[in-house]
Amino acid sequence: MGVRVYWPPEENKLSWQYKFLLPALLVLLSIVAFPTFFLFYVSFHEWVLFKRGMPFIGFENFSRVLTSSEFLQSLKVSVMYTFSTTTLTFILGLGLALILNEQLKGRGIMRTLIALPLVIPPVVAGFAWKFALNREVGVIGAFILPAMGFMKSLLADPSLALSSIILADIWSKTSLMFLILLAGLQAVSPDLYEAARIDGASSWQLFSHITFPSIKPAIIIALIIRFIDAFNVFDAIFVMTSGGPGTATQTFPLLGWKIGFLYFNLGEAATLAIIMLIMTIGVSIFLIRRIT
Amino acid sequence: MSKNLLKVVGLTVSLALVISLMSLPAGAAKTGIRVLVFAQGFAWPELFGSTGVDETERLKQFEEKEGVDVRIEWGDETAIRQKVAADFAARTGRYDLVLVGTDGGVQTYGYGGFLEPLDKYLELYPGEYFDPQDVYPQFLDANQVEGVLYALPYYSFGAGIMYRKDIFDKYGLTSPKTTDELYQVLEALKSGLRGEGITDVYPVTMRGAPGEEPTLDVAGFVYAWAGYPAWFEGGAMTPDQIKEKKAMPIFTGDFAPGFGAFVEICQKYGPPGISTHTWVDMMNIYAMGKAAILMPSAINAYAALGVTEDEQVKKYTRFAKSPTGSGGKQIQSFWTFSLGINKDSRHKKEAWKVLTFLMGKESMQAFAERTQWPNVTMKSVLYSDVLIKRYGLEEIKLNEESILEAEPFYFPYIPELNEYMDRVGTATSEAIAKTKPVEAVLSGLQTWALETMLRAGYYQK
Repeated sequence: MGVRVYWPPEENKLSWQYKFLLPALLVLLSIVAFPTFFLFYVSFHEWVLFKRGMPFIGFENFSRVLTSSEFLQSLKVSVMYTFSTTTLTFILGLGLALILNEQLKGRGIMRTLIALPLVIPPVVAGFAWKFALNREVGVIGAFILPAMGFMKSLLADPSLALSSIILADIWSKTSLMFLILLAGLQAVSPDLYEAARIDGASSWQLFSHITFPSIKPAIIIALIIRFIDAFNVFDAIFVMTSGGPGTATQTFPLLGWKIGFLYFNLGEAATLAIIMLIMTIGVSIFLIRRIT
Repeated sequence: MSKNLLKVVGLTVSLALVISLMSLPAGAAKTGIRVLVFAQGFAWPELFGSTGVDETERLKQFEEKEGVDVRIEWGDETAIRQKVAADFAARTGRYDLVLVGTDGGVQTYGYGGFLEPLDKYLELYPGEYFDPQDVYPQFLDANQVEGVLYALPYYSFGAGIMYRKDIFDKYGLTSPKTTDELYQVLEALKSGLRGEGITDVYPVTMRGAPGEEPTLDVAGFVYAWAGYPAWFEGGAMTPDQIKEKKAMPIFTGDFAPGFGAFVEICQKYGPPGISTHTWVDMMNIYAMGKAAILMPSAINAYAALGVTEDEQVKKYTRFAKSPTGSGGKQIQSFWTFSLGINKDSRHKKEAWKVLTFLMGKESMQAFAERTQWPNVTMKSVLYSDVLIKRYGLEEIKLNEESILEAEPFYFPYIPELNEYMDRVGTATSEAIAKTKPVEAVLSGLQTWALETMLRAGYYQK
């Protein structure tokens, strides 16, 4: 008994292809396109929870958000945080990946240990760092640092709080960079190095002429993923400082959360989300073009 | 052939449906009441067990009697507040009873028309569980917006000082009655502790984290120093009063002395990390024996007594009424954990029954017995054996006096309150951390408030 397979005639093939695509398109429309469209729609309306109605106000939300002092403060914090954490985790991740790509003793254990922070949820990591740095009871903040003569409170000092959360982020996210870059390094053929060494290439020449060009795609991916992740980070900062002291560590996501859920101004919160979306896309395009 | 097949399938499905409906327990006909709230395992464990998701016999009896099926949803406090806001924004009516604190939720949602006014329910459906006459009026007042009751309180608190009697005795101190005395006590504690080389015990622990939290206490300081809720000119409290009097914000005026005092006390006598401390931090510091005083939200020290392993803290903690400021009023800190009925609920009458049951005498007594906190809403519970035995009649009387003398309306009741709470709290954190001088912080607050009120149309002709 043979199996009968129905196959549409050649002239109907195109319409059938669209029919097969339809379920996926519907899912995408409902969970991606509609919310994005709605976000834009809301950003052009005044939607404050305790006010009746939702009038169209054009670009007024954009003008209010962009000219507010909180936006400028959060922009400064977001840029410093994103730039520092992306750069430092990249440098450290690359360094570790280069070292552990070599044939070293205990390489497997070292790789596992370095990757470990990645499996710890950011909220848990944030709480752990908050308690460790706490000036009154923390291992680092109350015992180690004071024993070294450093008496300030890392998380409560506006000049140190941002550095402290950057430190926590580096601890948590260097492993992500490390894993992506290590995967890139392992894909480089050893023959290339061997041939270059025969030609008398130095270590720096090996890195700049073979390693770096070979892992460029991995670097771009790592940088873009890390940038987006750092730019949107909320959980760790929320549990460590809630954006404080004052607004010293208030990044865009924290500001957006405040505007939406504390001030109940959903129109302005949507506007900030769109501004963040545009910034993320812009920087990602810049990174891709610049590196390639 | 295919028609017959359809008939057979149709009949089978119908039969299966009928059988399954018949086999359902009688409870399935009950009205489902969804409750959205935080403090899982802490709130109402006598009904929902220590996990918060058990169905105890007591709950079953209530459900059976009233024909309701209580479905409770828990979450972290912040997450629940967001969920309430999101649900109100979408107006789904999914939740019948929702958490609304008196620090912005009652006001914003009351003015926004998201909550069902409860006065008529109290009148028409008094019920057997909740006796408003037994509740201290301050706790009900706090849940009223322009005279309309929008929520009922569960555990709640007024202001006070919790202090370590052993430390006070050591330095020959007594609990301060005025804010001048408070400064003297704090200074004496500071020099006494320093003199003994004790660097990890602080004269006072308070909260100064960014966000709405410290505002409950800062506003209490402002009230004590100014002698009235000095947020708007003339102490205007409601949108109508602000509009009528064209009352401008006065953050650089009468608001400033109380704000400055709060900041100064935090900076000079509090722990180094105080500009990021929430109620949890202040509670932990007190519980660990690292502070001589916790104020003005005394409830956090009662919470500390439940978790501390420090025998001295357990043995020597005492309660005193909040000191009176230069404005002739006591420092305030007042909040109620409240639930309101969603205006979009489809089962408001049933929701009311559940609400009165959850906020009623039996629940409040169970709360007191479990936590042994005197932060209860009802006189009969405050004077119950369990609390008198734990604290003695004298301390219970002091707690009652502090409630009766409390002024729940020590900050304005306006729709924008939530944002004000956050801005004031964040400004406090900023000032304590010395990011900017107090004057600059208040000037920023003043500018923001003025712009906000102008934009909201408060001063239009």
